[in-house]
Amino acid sequence: MILGLDVGGTRTDAVVISEKGVVSLSKTPTTEDLLGTIENVLREALVGIDPTQMERAVFSTTLATNAVVQDRLEPTGVFVMAGPGIDPLAFEVGPSYHLIEGILDHQGFEVRPVNRREVEEKIRVLKAQGIDLLAVVGKFSPRNPEHEQTVYEISKGSFGYITLGHRFSGVLNFPRRIATAYLNSALYPVQKRFVESLERILTSKNIHCAKFLLKPDGGTYKLERSVDLGVAAAQSGPAASVMGAICLDGCKGTSLVMDIGGTTTDMAVVVDGTPLLTPIGAQIGPYKTLIRSLLSRSVGIGGDSSIVVEGGLMRIGPTRHGPPMAFGGQYPTPTDAMVALGLLNEGNASKAHIAMKRLGEALGIADIREVSLRVLKTMAGLIKTYALQFIEEINSRPVYTIHEVLYEKRLEPDSLVIIGGPAAQLAVYLSEVFGLPYRVPKLADVANAVGAAVSKVTAEVSVYADTQKGALVIPELEYQERIPYTFREEEALEKGREALLRLAAYLGAEEGQEIQITERQIFNMVRGFYRTGQNMRIKLGLKPGILSSMEVLR
Amino acid sequence: MKLKAKRRMGLVFFPAFDWAISPTHPEREERLLYTQDQVMEEGLLDVDGIVEYKVRPATYEDIRRVHFCVPDESSVTTESHLISAGGCLVAADAVLKKEVESAFALVRPPGHHSMRVVHGNRGFCNINIEAIMVEYIRRVYGIKRLAIVDTDCHHGDGTQDIYWHDPDVLFISLHQDGRTLYPGSGFVEEAGGPNAYGSTVNIPLPPRTGEEGFLYVMEELVLPLLERFEPELIINSAGQDNHYKDPITNMNFSARGYAKLSSILKPHIAVLEGGYSVEDALPYVNLGIIMAMAGLDFQYVAEPNYKEEYKPQSLDVTNYIKELVKGLRYRFLEGGLKKRTYKDGEIITRARNIYYDTDGIHERQLERIRFCQSCKGAISIDSSSSLGQHVLCVHIPKDACNRCRETAMDWFHEGKRRSYTHLYLQDRDQDLYLSV
Ligand SMILES: [Zn+2]
Ligand SMILES: [Zn+2]
Repeated sequence: MILGLDVGGTRTDAVVISEKGVVSLSKTPTTEDLLGTIENVLREALVGIDPTQMERAVFSTTLATNAVVQDRLEPTGVFVMAGPGIDPLAFEVGPSYHLIEGILDHQGFEVRPVNRREVEEKIRVLKAQGIDLLAVVGKFSPRNPEHEQTVYEISKGSFGYITLGHRFSGVLNFPRRIATAYLNSALYPVQKRFVESLERILTSKNIHCAKFLLKPDGGTYKLERSVDLGVAAAQSGPAASVMGAICLDGCKGTSLVMDIGGTTTDMAVVVDGTPLLTPIGAQIGPYKTLIRSLLSRSVGIGGDSSIVVEGGLMRIGPTRHGPPMAFGGQYPTPTDAMVALGLLNEGNASKAHIAMKRLGEALGIADIREVSLRVLKTMAGLIKTYALQFIEEINSRPVYTIHEVLYEKRLEPDSLVIIGGPAAQLAVYLSEVFGLPYRVPKLADVANAVGAAVSKVTAEVSVYADTQKGALVIPELEYQERIPYTFREEEALEKGREALLRLAAYLGAEEGQEIQITERQIFNMVRGFYRTGQNMRIKLGLKPGILSSMEVLR
Repeated sequence: MKLKAKRRMGLVFFPAFDWAISPTHPEREERLLYTQDQVMEEGLLDVDGIVEYKVRPATYEDIRRVHFCVPDESSVTTESHLISAGGCLVAADAVLKKEVESAFALVRPPGHHSMRVVHGNRGFCNINIEAIMVEYIRRVYGIKRLAIVDTDCHHGDGTQDIYWHDPDVLFISLHQDGRTLYPGSGFVEEAGGPNAYGSTVNIPLPPRTGEEGFLYVMEELVLPLLERFEPELIINSAGQDNHYKDPITNMNFSARGYAKLSSILKPHIAVLEGGYSVEDALPYVNLGIIMAMAGLDFQYVAEPNYKEEYKPQSLDVTNYIKELVKGLRYRFLEGGLKKRTYKDGEIITRARNIYYDTDGIHERQLERIRFCQSCKGAISIDSSSSLGQHVLCVHIPKDACNRCRETAMDWFHEGKRRSYTHLYLQDRDQDLYLSV
């Protein structure tokens, strides 16, 4: 049996899944008290379940996002080594941000060394401010982690926790590296407390299996590893829904997955069961990060969006002014239209009729049915407009090779997979405006918790090898090696594969997960009409996917 | 603090990571690799107001507005050239549709050595990507007057050739003196054809010209020339081989210098041309240009060892440039340029030899132009190459007068009776191209 639990903005869902399918599910409103909410939903979900039979438990939470948004980050110092370029003060984060000496160029060659005395001085400044958390980030540190490591060696005795920038990703983006490392340190105490409390709760409920957190890329990693890498679990909500849709539906072909909620609709594209990822990383509150993430788009239109009529035109969303009128609210909403049409047998039907009547008056339509249909069609039309924009943006992503310009196919969804509360009620209207077939998987309203439960571990490593310089770096593993001029691409791949397997095991991956090469660029380095070496950039990863044993749910 | 571009700018980045002229040629796959690294690492694409655009290939129709490709377009271009030119068209669209205030086509392969007639590759260039963009802009957006400021270290002889007879395009080239560098042209006397005399301005700078010299020339000469010409659009052929680290030139310019130059020139569209110090110069020069175009503060942009490496311009270079600028100001700004006068309708001929260094082709051209007081004048070029081609290229300019159109058609029909391997008619007024 496995447990999946997804804490959403308004609702928390849990499912227990066995070989027979979903054997238990529960939903509860999300409250301020995250752990309390988790306890509540677990209590209900575990009724009639033998917790000792649990083999896996996965959690998708809003912990990190809320800590960022609610400004509950711990004071964290940041040491930045920048070199020439944009003024590094533009990337300032946290209460104590310091520029220190140490410059690397784009190939990782040292231009200026770290100044030990200066670092020691800055440490004293931070300690005087009572700061116990640190992030150390250098420009181009994925090309050469040595400067960050040197600062770490000098600082490690003075801080409770230190994050080094190069550990997150081989992707080059200095401002994002700064933000990511900062958040990771600033979240450390929050994450640590959460993990300890969650372990306690689970132990008290007699759940002793392997525990995981969901990440925004639709992959998971072991709960205990998240203490060091808390930021990696932020923004996992959209991933939960999309992985749920993949599990419940399969998402063959090119599917546009839409999760229709109360106030928003989230969309993502899945190609043959694999979700598309963002080119760089997730945004957490105001911070753009390097945390790999599913490509998703959230638009401010959902079942509870309020509807107003302006200049004879209906406007749905983006705000929600309380619940639908059928549920005691003040403003008409699409949910009222569903109730009025008899598509939804909940709430107060006569209130829903009043809502539609009021809209009808403003629009000059007497027939309640016609008004209600108009609402749902307008909503579907709006969602389509946003979706087409989203797909167009994906198709306009720049490419850098002639091959891609000539042969890359445009992405065109061939079906809709619709999940979330009002999925069943809206699907037919969406299908009509899109002109595409639709599927609403069973359990569509708890797809998010299912998605958390069934997602496999993901990991990614980057190999950067420069045979002219004679260096190989795998930043995610702090791995560095001298290589000879004759070092070959196959050897670089092998180094990457070994590193990935090590990282995967550390994060809790099952053995035998499929390895995917996501980038493989080999450049001849030419100096003065001679080949002087090779520059290799290889990325390998475990791609997001669902446990093979969970295909029973389809 | 959140970075925001003061001027919204578009970036069309196309490094063509799978294309090189030959395995060890400077125009190689790796050329923009470290530029990409630097641009990505700086997080420039996350800056509010810097928008990256995806390239699209240009079409043969786009090429035919500019070139006579011998024997045809497919023989002298590859996909890489079409995409590089197309990248410029994307940049132009972004600016002219007012999505951005300026755009930078950071694309390769380059184009400014490609002339009107193309038999092959000259100076790493097959088709002139700026000219293809200019003619596209004129056709699609109805813009007439443009200025092209070529800041590549090599004389932009291809662009000069294409606009030699066009008084509506001001072509200014700053370059290392042709006596000391390929292609060996671009002297002050080269000022345009009989119908466009004075709309070509060459500024041959001495070797070792530094930041001071370039910026002096910009302030004292280029900006006043632009002010007087009043172009609707300014285009910068932003070659980066004036850099002190460039392996195939002898100048003394820097990344911050290039950034300053861009911030002074304020081009609507910049197009990458040469620049072959791929590790030591390009990453910083491109960073500087992008930041300058976006109106971001570039005071911290520099080569990592700029302080140790950069030597200010010597006094003799400074004095030489002052004299040069004085002479050019006299000719082009103070009425010193003496136009030769011709009879209206007179046919003026010019014979030239052109060498295609990359492909080793020799071309011989006999050019005729009709001196005309009503239009830009009909042109015909009789061109024979060492590859055995002997072609006639006839050009009817935009807004051609009847007499010039008749003359051009006469040349074309007369050509049919002779034994050319190919005959071409480029009718810019009707936007037609004929190949026989
Ligand atoms: Zn050049
Ligand atoms: Zn005429």
